[in-house]
Amino acid sequence: MSEPGPKQDFRYPLHWRLMDGVERLADIVWPRSMARHTGWLFIAPALLLVGLLVLGLVQIADSSLRVLDTATFLPSEDWSLTNYEKALGTKVYLTVAWRSVSAAALTTVLTLILAFAYAYALVRVRKAWIRKALLITLFLPFFIGQVVRAYGWLIILGNSGMVNEALGLIGVAPMRLLFNYGAVIFGLVQYMLPFAVLLLVPALTAIPEETETAAGSLGASWPRIFWHVLLPMAKPGLIGAGLVVFTLTLTDFAVPAMLGGGSQDFIANAIYDQFFRTADQGLGAALALMLVAAGSILVGLVFMVFGAGTLAMGGRK
Amino acid sequence: MSRSQKITIWGLVWFSIITLSLPTLVVLGASLTAGNMVAFPPQGLSLQWYEKIALARDLQQAFLRSLIVAAICTAVAIPVGTLAGLALSRFRLRFTTAIQVYLLLPFTIPLIGSGIGLMLVFGQWHVLGSLWPVGIACAVINLPFIIWSVSSSAVLLDPDLELAAQSCGAGRVQTFFHVTLPAVMPGVITGSLLMFILAMNEFLVSLLLVDARIVTLPVLIYNSIRSIITPDLAAVSVVFIVIALAVIWLLDRLVGLEIFLKSK
Amino acid sequence: MTNMLYRPNRRALLRGTAAAGAAALMGTLPGRLMAQDAPAKPAEIIVRAWGGSWVEALKKGVSDPFTAATGIQVRHDLTEDNEIQPKVWAAVAQGRVPPIHINWDTTTNATKSALRGVTEDLSDLSNLAGTTDLAKPVGLDGYPIVNTYGYVYVLAYRPEAFPDGAPTSWKAMLDPKFRGRIALYNDGIGFHFPAQVAGGGKLEDIPANMQAAWDFIAQVKEQQPLLGEDPDFTAWFQNGEIDLACTISTNAREAKKNGVDLAWTVPEEGAKFDTDGLWIPKGLPENELYWAKEYINFAISKDAQQVWCDGLGLPGVVPGLTPPADLVDDPSYPDTPEEMSHLIRISTKVQVENESEWFGKFKEIMQG
Repeated sequence: MSEPGPKQDFRYPLHWRLMDGVERLADIVWPRSMARHTGWLFIAPALLLVGLLVLGLVQIADSSLRVLDTATFLPSEDWSLTNYEKALGTKVYLTVAWRSVSAAALTTVLTLILAFAYAYALVRVRKAWIRKALLITLFLPFFIGQVVRAYGWLIILGNSGMVNEALGLIGVAPMRLLFNYGAVIFGLVQYMLPFAVLLLVPALTAIPEETETAAGSLGASWPRIFWHVLLPMAKPGLIGAGLVVFTLTLTDFAVPAMLGGGSQDFIANAIYDQFFRTADQGLGAALALMLVAAGSILVGLVFMVFGAGTLAMGGRK
Repeated sequence: MSRSQKITIWGLVWFSIITLSLPTLVVLGASLTAGNMVAFPPQGLSLQWYEKIALARDLQQAFLRSLIVAAICTAVAIPVGTLAGLALSRFRLRFTTAIQVYLLLPFTIPLIGSGIGLMLVFGQWHVLGSLWPVGIACAVINLPFIIWSVSSSAVLLDPDLELAAQSCGAGRVQTFFHVTLPAVMPGVITGSLLMFILAMNEFLVSLLLVDARIVTLPVLIYNSIRSIITPDLAAVSVVFIVIALAVIWLLDRLVGLEIFLKSK
Repeated sequence: MTNMLYRPNRRALLRGTAAAGAAALMGTLPGRLMAQDAPAKPAEIIVRAWGGSWVEALKKGVSDPFTAATGIQVRHDLTEDNEIQPKVWAAVAQGRVPPIHINWDTTTNATKSALRGVTEDLSDLSNLAGTTDLAKPVGLDGYPIVNTYGYVYVLAYRPEAFPDGAPTSWKAMLDPKFRGRIALYNDGIGFHFPAQVAGGGKLEDIPANMQAAWDFIAQVKEQQPLLGEDPDFTAWFQNGEIDLACTISTNAREAKKNGVDLAWTVPEEGAKFDTDGLWIPKGLPENELYWAKEYINFAISKDAQQVWCDGLGLPGVVPGLTPPADLVDDPSYPDTPEEMSHLIRISTKVQVENESEWFGKFKEIMQG
């Protein structure tokens, strides 16, 4: 439309105008004076979304204070602490709670060892195709659902499964590999491994390879480099991944149910039983709340002692 | 790498590879059985179970619903998780420990508790019976994953870069979209992929939020197992894996899988 | 007790006569008017059912013929009975329309719902007149639920492990060679009562004194049993993990049909006999409630029962049903007083009131 010529004005591109508009709008909606609260603005949606769970917890807290009347199968009208007393006074819940905590700790340590090696290989390996293959292997198990996966393990590790058959060839009598504490830990580690690797990778990416080379050229052996250089630098990632594995294991229900043969229950299985098998929602709710409280306290302690790791590199500014 | 280091690292990696993929391979083989039950090695080869699921309309509808749920979950989780991840990593907030503990609630509440709680909340609001509450629920219970993917990506971003952009005259919104966001993109992509996959496969919370008209695939599979595990479930898993591989291949062609591993 | 199974009781007969009278009266009205009186048909009704051969049998015997007769589609919700319960209870408590029209449920679970007051009354179903006493829920007023068949928690075993013939006693579980090769349900359901007998106790002492049962279960625990649900049992039998299991005969039969080497028996101490039933949750629109009732009414007709119960391999609640060919004289299909006398039946009321405690006790032994 306009004549081409040297006198033509510089045209301000449309998206610049748009961006200016957005900036001005932002200045109105969230003036610069509010800048120190921008962090709260950013985190508010997440706080609200998780608020849904808190609303649910309020409902659960209410039912935890009501006692089930087995003559009418209705919760009592008035509140009492009976369910909490029952939960604390029943030996089997202590057994199960201790099993959950110890298994969560053990699973966390084992998963972190495997995940560290895996993430390290993923970050350091030079061939692109190996890197891709490692990445795909990580995502594969997600797609076969827990029930089918457990069945796969039965075929592999069962009394007449592949591993026992193979052992039989070298003259080892078949042994029970499944349905015990070890099998549950194994299943949990396998389940948690991809999560841990994905959370560790960014932390390891941040460690330049030159650091290791430098330490090596100064004569440090690799276990020493690992111990004195890698581990401290990867600490934030390890804490982040460790917390995820620990909390998810602590509240897991599917793996102990499927690989534990029924005698390796975690606290979540006891909660399931109360909600679904015996219809005692009050007791189930009390157990659930106590688990949430215990888990949150443990997590809070870790945050206070070690900092939040990669889960928040907060306050770097 | 020294020899002993290589052996140690790759020994552990191979152990992981085997434990991660062996059950999948067994299930893949079992899906080809000509028999009536999951077995390995399969009793004769046949594609009968694939034929069966190809004809099962309820499976396909459930699969579509799972896609919708996963899409809603991811759509909700990306903005919420990205902003929260940035808030935790780029801003100095008070009560950080309390916020962290609070944001970990999705993991510290057992799934059964979350499921029952959300069922009561959504029930009270009379919104049960559609798919979006299920999508939101999936976003809530897995939210920490995307928050942390983003915040651990943000660690790698030098704050001076943002300051530099602003001192060059970039507005706040501009800085956010042109400097901050691209820097945490690997975290956003890893996080959203995880959210999508986890929502595709979620069954325990969904079980409490769906009814027979809107049942999702994992719930349908979980429920259909009553007395025996039939090979069609193995076949469904295999189809799932094939689709996933196709998506991963596409992703690799479009953006490159390397983005997971790169910081910038 | 045993006679009730196949002889219509006196009250049912009386009610039957009354119903017949009413029908005769109605017969004088023009048929078209009655059809118009029927409330509007919903496009579909949702029936909760167990998956696998259970839902197949229901579909063939009840749902498909019902659709053919009424044009109403039947959708099956395969959520487990235990897992639908809190959903239905929450829906009723929050004044929502429940997620299902009909719940196919264990009588024990159904009774909990009935006590809680979330079930619709079914005593006006016309086909109740033709049912045996088994259809009537024990210890409840009227028919908040209708029982539809009975079943037995048999002792299933791998014939290969018993070359000398079927085990005759539950005590076979204590044989050292079956260490780690026994399976029970997660909550021990079906096992408490025979354990009471096997442990030297009396059935009359249930629930007051069940020490004998707990002692026996503790002995079984020493044998490191596996705990699971039906699909686990089938998988374990198939993969040679176990030789003995306390399970519902229908599942054992299903596994056998699919090629798992399996047989079952009722040991000398007896085996638990119980019932399943159908019920309707409160809160349905009027017309949907009407057609849900029609569905249940049809389910207890002789035609529907014959096909449905054939598929399940279980004795129904209508007299004169023919047992499936493979179950004639099978102890898991009790259709004579002689067969019933070997089975243990404990009142639903006692079960409902004490189940929670029994499960807790069982768990305590097993998790220890």
